[in-house]
Amino acid sequence: MRTWAVVIFAASVGLFSAPLAAHHGSAAFDTGKKVELKGTVVEWLYSNPHCLLKLDVKGPDGKVVQWIAEGQAPNVIFPGGYRRDSFKLGDQVTITVEPVKENQPMGRILESVLANGTKLGRASSAGAIVE
Amino acid sequence: MMPKSVRVLLLGLSVAGLILPAAMLAQSSRSLAGGWITPNYNIPAITDATRKPAPRRTMSGTWIPFGRFGVATQAGGVSAKPNNGRPENALSFTPYGLELYKSHKALEGADAVRPAEGNDPRNLCEPLGMPRTNHYNLNVTQFFQDEYKVAILYQYDNRWRVIWTDGRVLPKLVDGAVQIGDEIREQRFFGYSVGRWVDDFTFEAVTVGTMPEDRVWLDATGRPISDQVRTTERFRRVDNDTMEWSEILEDPKVYSKPWETMKLTMRQHDPRTDIMEYYCSPVEQANYNKFFGNSVSGK
Repeated sequence: MRTWAVVIFAASVGLFSAPLAAHHGSAAFDTGKKVELKGTVVEWLYSNPHCLLKLDVKGPDGKVVQWIAEGQAPNVIFPGGYRRDSFKLGDQVTITVEPVKENQPMGRILESVLANGTKLGRASSAGAIVE
Repeated sequence: MMPKSVRVLLLGLSVAGLILPAAMLAQSSRSLAGGWITPNYNIPAITDATRKPAPRRTMSGTWIPFGRFGVATQAGGVSAKPNNGRPENALSFTPYGLELYKSHKALEGADAVRPAEGNDPRNLCEPLGMPRTNHYNLNVTQFFQDEYKVAILYQYDNRWRVIWTDGRVLPKLVDGAVQIGDEIREQRFFGYSVGRWVDDFTFEAVTVGTMPEDRVWLDATGRPISDQVRTTERFRRVDNDTMEWSEILEDPKVYSKPWETMKLTMRQHDPRTDIMEYYCSPVEQANYNKFFGNSVSGK
């Protein structure tokens, strides 16, 4: 219970409200748009400058499309609860991403629901100006 | 014989004096199993009840920018003047400075380009140098000092710099180098820094002799900096747990007047805080570009 409280608090206070470390700006993203994806984890790269999640998502037509969603660097997303083993091969997870403008299956993670039901907040930069 | 009420009060104060430091440490950290302590970004503000006087002439400690997590990321440009297109944040470029700025293709700020179109030297894993190291994801920062120097250890790329306090003289800037006595010495990414205590709680550091403008940027939005820059930092101990860190640039080659780039409030943290690595790896950078960066840039 206490762990949950810490996770939720960190996500809500720390990550939802903060413009995080950005390795790149917002120019590539369709800012403000959200896409919810339910799929199967193919790979979770806990790396610099960004973490990357490869997710197989089955569309309404039954066709599987592999999405790639990025998160910030490990040290940035760690306080929000993202860990090396947050996503494991074969996990069924739900993520919400801000997609790229290029109409490709790519985006940055705004929110995640892990296989065990844990909810995590933004794992990507808002690309916002720090004021 | 003291009245009982006074004895109780003194006992209470004594106990509080013993307990308070431990309580403060606990507030500024979060412990994982086995004693591994991670930073706590949600520490409460200092109040009259928790404020302790600053120690004299020391900055030693583990410091984290105070406020919401990421407050000193400075992704949108230096904290005192973010590059957001607002008139109040416009800079007084020299003609050469403006030309330089336009040649920089930054991934952040008002004139940002897409990931693979950028020419930020950081993307090649070049050292950020001074003063950009103060403006790039400034987070957990350690200060150590002895009678000769202050060393600052930055989280990003495990970089460190030394500010000499032993009375040595700042090198003289000459064309493409610095001069120390009769010797011509090399330019450095982190320059040459000397510092002095202005008073018991204020330390001032000046840095010169940094790399030329084709090697380093001022911030992530592509604002330029030249090898003529003189960076003056002030560190003011407000109390035991609070330090203000400000920075002023003078760079007549690029800017027509000095300007303040940063004024951050730092909070002291548990000195046992474990600091995660945050680095630039050409291998991981290439991997990122392969899977993501190039694709979203139309490559």
